Amino acid sequence: MNIKQTLTGFYLFVAVLMVAPITSLAAADLEVNTPAISTLKNSMQTRHGQLAGHYGSGAVGLTRDGLIAVRDANAVPLAQRQGVNSLVSAENSDRNALYKEIATANGHPEWEAEVRSTFAQRWVQKAQGGWWYQDASGGWKQK
Amino acid sequence: MLKHAPHLLSGWFSGFTDADLHRQARLPARHWMMALLSLVLSLASPSLYAVSSITVHIGAISSPNFQASDLNLELPLDNGKAVTLKTRLQQADNSWAEASLHCPALDNPQLGVWRCRDAKLASPQANGNVSVALQLPVAQQPFKADLQLAAFSFSDSVGLHAADKLAADVSLQATPDATGWRWQAALDWREGELFWQPFYFATGGHSLHAAGHYNAQALQVDTAQLKLKAVGDADLSGIYNLSGKRIEQLALQTSALDLATLYPLLLKPLLDKTSLNDMEMAGTASLQFAMQAGELQDFRLDLQQADIADRKGKFALYKLQASIPWSYDAAQPIALDYAGGHLLDIPLGAARLRAELERYSLRTPQLVLPILDGALTLNEVSAAWVNQQWHWHLRADLAPISMTELSTALGWPRMEGQVAAAIPQVTYSDGKLVTSGAMQFKLFDGTVTVGNLAMQTPLGLTPRLNADVQFRNLDLGALTRTFAFGAIEGRMDGDVNALQLANWKPVQFDAMFKSSTGRYPRKISQRAVENISALGGAGAAAAVQRSVLRFFKEFNYARIGLTCRVRNGNCAMDGVDGNPALAPVNNTASGYVIVEGSGVPAITVLGYNHSVGWDELLARLQRITAGNSKPVIQ
Repeated sequence: MNIKQTLTGFYLFVAVLMVAPITSLAAADLEVNTPAISTLKNSMQTRHGQLAGHYGSGAVGLTRDGLIAVRDANAVPLAQRQGVNSLVSAENSDRNALYKEIATANGHPEWEAEVRSTFAQRWVQKAQGGWWYQDASGGWKQK
Repeated sequence: MLKHAPHLLSGWFSGFTDADLHRQARLPARHWMMALLSLVLSLASPSLYAVSSITVHIGAISSPNFQASDLNLELPLDNGKAVTLKTRLQQADNSWAEASLHCPALDNPQLGVWRCRDAKLASPQANGNVSVALQLPVAQQPFKADLQLAAFSFSDSVGLHAADKLAADVSLQATPDATGWRWQAALDWREGELFWQPFYFATGGHSLHAAGHYNAQALQVDTAQLKLKAVGDADLSGIYNLSGKRIEQLALQTSALDLATLYPLLLKPLLDKTSLNDMEMAGTASLQFAMQAGELQDFRLDLQQADIADRKGKFALYKLQASIPWSYDAAQPIALDYAGGHLLDIPLGAARLRAELERYSLRTPQLVLPILDGALTLNEVSAAWVNQQWHWHLRADLAPISMTELSTALGWPRMEGQVAAAIPQVTYSDGKLVTSGAMQFKLFDGTVTVGNLAMQTPLGLTPRLNADVQFRNLDLGALTRTFAFGAIEGRMDGDVNALQLANWKPVQFDAMFKSSTGRYPRKISQRAVENISALGGAGAAAAVQRSVLRFFKEFNYARIGLTCRVRNGNCAMDGVDGNPALAPVNNTASGYVIVEGSGVPAITVLGYNHSVGWDELLARLQRITAGNSKPVIQ
């Protein structure tokens, strides 16, 4: 999978994610944009090129709480595993900040948990075939 | 059990010579060790015939974390024969995989020393060559084990603890005493890479030599020398409470460690979630500390000629010398000097900082941080480490810094003037920095006052800033020349209230700029008129150009005013009579006055655009100040 494809995939992914109607949060605008949100999205977009291969190999999977986790690092050479860890932890701090920012930008910081769970479902729905995700009980499943 | 089992085993092996024995056992879950022991006991009973080789078959071994089946062991009792152990192990995904350990020649089992060169271990979790010399503690002999690993690899199921192509020597010697075992151990890691989350060692060359005492209650390390290649050495000692699973005592003393290699190897993985996770370091650090009863008693950190710089350029300190002693019982003086550095884009000059560290709080009457040609003085500094976070408060005075130097340092257009500040109270708590009092900038012959300044995680991923900014009596001549906007003569006041920046970009504010009151010349150039009109969109500028007014280079005006209320990336605009604190009236049909003319020749500029995207407005401003050096007048 080349970088262009994965990036295009990511843009589409995010675009669909942003405009898709959100039933559980009728009042929340997930499309809301603030400088903090666009910084976070840019940072996540840049990182996606590095993460896509790890989603594909199963090294990294999507968790049920809207984050990502190292699932099976054996697919990654030893020298790069620390890098995968850092990517995962940086991605997670961006994702946590994104959910918080979107809730705050909507004027309802208390919506963070709902924003998170909505995103968690969308990430999984829009994941490519072969990627791993956690089901409701926390077990890993392959899409 | 460990202490007595070897005696049984040695008795068993020396007692039999010449018969075959075949045993099968189906072992209940979690009791396989006991079963194996009873098998050994039955073999050891004197009523049995002597044997020359033993084949053990165990149908299944089961424990919560380990499942094996079809275990076969062929153990010839003659010297120098091959021994093979084969089994099937259950994997994390519940499949079964073959595992085997083959020793081509087992030497001297009768003498209490088992020796096997180049045994091959093969399993999904671990494989490689192992040479073993094992001396069992018979007849007051110490227990001794020497292992040589070659081309050895291992990995746990998720791959977070794994090694590849390891070559290492491991030795352990233990002598029983009245209360347990006195032990000595050595690890010489010659080659191979290791990932032990979160640490990664690309090559070997490291070693550990240790000695101490062991019994069921405690593992005691009397001395340990750790040598990390290219980093430095550390001496350790301590007591680990095995029943309570806690460190009772720990003491560590390092040599001068090379920060350039220490940081990527050990510090970066530990600081992954902090602001210090992407640094470059040089110089040396040495550390010593002591823990008693699980509590830190004292430590001492010394930095020599250290350079620390954030790779993203957020901050740096150079030629850092630090001496930071700490003790649980007594206050200690700390010293930190640096030759220079920067915080964000602001350069820092050489500083000598002194403070007193008392248990979990830090106090100092004064810290002087030279910045450009001025200095930030922090007075009555008091900080406390509570709930894993720093909380602090202080009084700050900024001795005047020349704006010429500051604007150059920040990459802004060159400005004349000065910035100075007196902030009676700065507090930092829970990642939030709040100030009372105001910072004053003397700029463009007027004043800029920043009040109610608050910041959140200034060095984090999404820094936030809140402030109210007042501009008074700015000289529009100097201002418009600095930003190449087109000349305007006159003076201006401004208020930017409820300013909120995220990641240093505006999220919201209520801005109002108006001509100052008082008597002064008021002239606006044709170019400035065009530019102001262009801020509101195309139409207005064209109207000016087409009119007869294009024959005049400049016009008189009575007042200029523009307001902009930014919410959700949108600027609601109004003119001289606008009030940005109020939500805009959506009255798009009528225009608003931006420049109100007066005298001859006079001009009045109307704005019709009541709402414009903030980014679009910024882009227009940038086009105007960057590309509009040659105004087109038709």
